Amino acid sequence: MKLENPLRSAAALIVGLVFLSPALYSIWLSFQTADAYYAGGLEFTLDNYGRAVGQYHFARYLFNSVFVSGIVTLGGIAMATLAAYAFARFTFRGSDLLFGLTIATLMIPSHISLIPNYLTLARVGLLDSYAGLILPPMASAFATFFLRQYIRGIPRSLDEAAYMDGASSLQVLTRVIVPLARPAILSMALYIFINEWNSYIWPLVAIGKSDLYTLQVGLARLYKINPGEDLIDWPLVMAASTISILPVLLGFALVERHLVRGITMGAVK
Amino acid sequence: MSQILLRSINKSYDGATQVLHDVSMEIEDGEFIVIVGPSGCGKSTLLRLIAGLEACQDGEIVIAGQRANEQLPQHRDIAMIFQNYALYPHLTVRENIAFGLELRKVPKRERNQRALEVARTLQLEPYLDRKPGALSGGQRQRVAMGRAIARNTSTFLMDEPLSNLDNALRVAMRTEIKALHRQLGATIIYVTHDQTEALSLADRIAVMKGGYLQQFDTPEAIYDRPANQFVASFLGMPPMNFLPVDKVPFWQGELGIEIGLRPEALSINRDGSGMSSLPGRIVLSEMTGSDVILHCETEAGRLTLIEERNRLSGGSGDVLIHVDLDRAHFFHGDSGARLDLA
Repeated sequence: MKLENPLRSAAALIVGLVFLSPALYSIWLSFQTADAYYAGGLEFTLDNYGRAVGQYHFARYLFNSVFVSGIVTLGGIAMATLAAYAFARFTFRGSDLLFGLTIATLMIPSHISLIPNYLTLARVGLLDSYAGLILPPMASAFATFFLRQYIRGIPRSLDEAAYMDGASSLQVLTRVIVPLARPAILSMALYIFINEWNSYIWPLVAIGKSDLYTLQVGLARLYKINPGEDLIDWPLVMAASTISILPVLLGFALVERHLVRGITMGAVK
Repeated sequence: MSQILLRSINKSYDGATQVLHDVSMEIEDGEFIVIVGPSGCGKSTLLRLIAGLEACQDGEIVIAGQRANEQLPQHRDIAMIFQNYALYPHLTVRENIAFGLELRKVPKRERNQRALEVARTLQLEPYLDRKPGALSGGQRQRVAMGRAIARNTSTFLMDEPLSNLDNALRVAMRTEIKALHRQLGATIIYVTHDQTEALSLADRIAVMKGGYLQQFDTPEAIYDRPANQFVASFLGMPPMNFLPVDKVPFWQGELGIEIGLRPEALSINRDGSGMSSLPGRIVLSEMTGSDVILHCETEAGRLTLIEERNRLSGGSGDVLIHVDLDRAHFFHGDSGARLDLA
């Protein structure tokens, strides 16, 4: 292994610790009792995790978040890939206009579409359902744009070679384009997943039933456990927060290599 | 099966840039056709039209007796080798070769067997499990050929397949392609801008310029009886010399004509005898091995001729150039069309 400059390594370690310190502090806090925390003492406990999962249904919220984020990611990436392939490879009547409109939606703050989305879902009876949580965020203009640009960088002669080999347009997509665009697709999948995982406003608006709460909504409600009392049970909140970030960290560790490649690809093309 | 007819093909981009003008050809089963011409003459476009990768505005493409204009590329049963090879970078050599078979749902065992056979023919066996990125240019070229051969089609389209190779490899691959054509008995339509490839490979050559088909004939006919001045100048190395007859002192025929003289129709007149000679001066000599290419300045214009190196004493100075008028070609001074003068 190559030895780096010790000064540079020390500086990197310090900066890394500064960035990590809030997360490390939260994790450390999640193993303290509330009484010890407010008394300024130290008392190790796992009880906060037990309470978050058992008493405050965080196992359910965790499942909801994993399920909703997972389906949004799978559906979103499938839709974005298909749309990106069409925009990158086919010229059809109105294709430029349609792509322009897709890009234009990136300029509209998401909160502006909150009420129209709510009214639409109310009209079709999808509020308070998984479908209501999943469908609106499934279409990602950014992922469509990003993947379209990536696909345009793949030589068209590969599509043509596949057509000559007997492939249909869909087979060109699945057998040639998707394998070659894997870094971009994986980084977009992680982007969609993290966005959905952290999504708070839409689940809060669309869901009233507590058994459909996602982690973010559940976390926010922890602050209001004891109405009328000034003290917030911070160790409990931190235990719940730790539960909420673990899957994202795990996902990032799995696709980090592809994510970095996908993000930096513009620099090498 | 693979007789290909092109009838009055016209192609334009955006309705404005006409790239093919009324091109017609009849290609027989098993023929090796080379389409040759300078960059932008429409030769690759013509190949892509036959492949089905582009559509023409006018005209008809008939493959094996059936109109193919509306057929998708995947339904034409034609294999194509691209200039940049277009190998799938995420697949191994074996998977690249077997890709077309896999799409046709050929059982895995059978397609692996076929890939192995093809790899043996093209000496690719040691590289079957490598990805294209780990191959040399010549090996990639052979994989591209293998991918086309594996499908057992009767028609192959090749778009400048040797242009990315160095000279030695190009010569070697040329021989392999020729041998392969003999072995497969397939129809090959081959696009190149290299006249040596055209002359050495083709049963018939189609010479194109500016989207027009200039001449479609055997290499011998094209070399010996070029249809016009462009064809005459395009094929042959060094290229044909052209002299306006009014500048040729011994010319006694009609005027307004260009004489075309291949370098082999010219020689150094050492004894000063004969009528058809032009005085000139050697301004440049290029050694090519056993021969020397001499560039001479004459009153009629610059002439290029080839002399055996051992017959040449000195590479410069004044010379008398003998013109063999029996081997001369004549072209209309304005249109450049061939004239058959008795």
